[in-house]
Amino acid sequence: MTVADGRTNGLAIWRSVLPVAALVVVASVQVVLAKTASLTPWKGGGFGMFSTTDSADQRMLRVVVAAPERSEIIEITESLEDAAKRAAAFPVPRQLERLARLVVERERRHGRPVDTVQIECWRPEYDAVTLAASRRPVGELVYRAEPPAQTGP
Amino acid sequence: MRSRLLKPARDGPRLPDAVLLLTAICLLLRPLDVWWVTGLVLLGAGLAVLYPAVRHAPPTWGVLAILVALRIAAVWPLSDNHIYLLSYWCLAIALALGASDPPSALSRSSRWLLGAAFAFAVLWKAVLSPDYLDGRFFRVTMLTDPRFADAVMLVGGLTADDISADRTMLEPLPEGAVLADPPAVHESSRFRAMAVATTWGALLLEALVAVLCLMPESRRVEVPRHAAILAFCITTYALAPVAGFGWLIAVMGLAQCRTEQRLLRASYTAVFFLVLLYSEVPWTGVLHDLVS
Repeated sequence: MTVADGRTNGLAIWRSVLPVAALVVVASVQVVLAKTASLTPWKGGGFGMFSTTDSADQRMLRVVVAAPERSEIIEITESLEDAAKRAAAFPVPRQLERLARLVVERERRHGRPVDTVQIECWRPEYDAVTLAASRRPVGELVYRAEPPAQTGP
Repeated sequence: MRSRLLKPARDGPRLPDAVLLLTAICLLLRPLDVWWVTGLVLLGAGLAVLYPAVRHAPPTWGVLAILVALRIAAVWPLSDNHIYLLSYWCLAIALALGASDPPSALSRSSRWLLGAAFAFAVLWKAVLSPDYLDGRFFRVTMLTDPRFADAVMLVGGLTADDISADRTMLEPLPEGAVLADPPAVHESSRFRAMAVATTWGALLLEALVAVLCLMPESRRVEVPRHAAILAFCITTYALAPVAGFGWLIAVMGLAQCRTEQRLLRASYTAVFFLVLLYSEVPWTGVLHDLVS
């Protein structure tokens, strides 16, 4: 590195400071979100992959659709997969609500009634000695669907 | 002072072509699965491979950094961590190309980026994770992830039936239910030792890389730092299914080499292709078949 004076040295350093500053900021935000908003440590740019069993792939979503004379758990279909992955990785109200809205759209598209959508996100946990497996909830939402638009006279 | 943000420095040393070419190859090998980003990234990376003027131009890497960042934003929070590092790395290249001494600038960026990334990885494993230090993570992962099955049979001494039975027992019951008397997971003493060794080996090696990259640059630190980075790539990506990360770390290590360090530069290039081989050849399965 050519150094004409201290100022040149400082200006040259910023070229290396900027990328690592971006890394530190993003990773720090990820740590905060993981600890306060149940973001999976494997995602978000915090380099927490391979540190915990709580990966996005191992989280489970339970989606229950309810209407008069109906209450059932529905499967995550291909059209819901992207929203479901995001909701599982980061089960905050915004992501859960997005999934819920897509569930409502899909159910009504197939002519099935839906008043509420309840979504639960569960993470795996293992006993430290026996590895006995269980699940713990990390996010939940009950979404009340707007009434379908009335058509005709 | 004339800005060097858009033009490469004309005088003085140039960034090694190998670093720029291998970074472009990283972008070509793992398309970013958002259609409007993928096309542009493949175009930019392809042109960088073909034309020296393109790959030595700061805007090329600045645009690639932005495109990768846009992909991260588009699929947030689903991007793997090495995609974030790829964006930072492209930015580092763009900025270094405009420096008066690009190789020194990029070498420094590489050390700091790797040091910071590994420091956060160590923070997660050693402090923030509730199930890493006691070995739970690797005990569970090695039994449940089919990609580790061959290595577990080869080194851990478990049979395919053991692994299959354990995988069933490790499936969590739905909605917080817990068995009153859960069956014991079968773990041999060899498997336990394998899990402990992997747990602490990974942590200590990552800590070593972080420390050596973040220490002030000196000739005394240089050789151990390169040894740690190479050892990490050779051991970790033999099993961890994240080849993109391994390639990127190998390229970043290459950027820390001086021109006269031919053996070291060849080693990083070899490791880049070794990680590629790891991802394509089921070597643990081949070894297991040979041994049994």
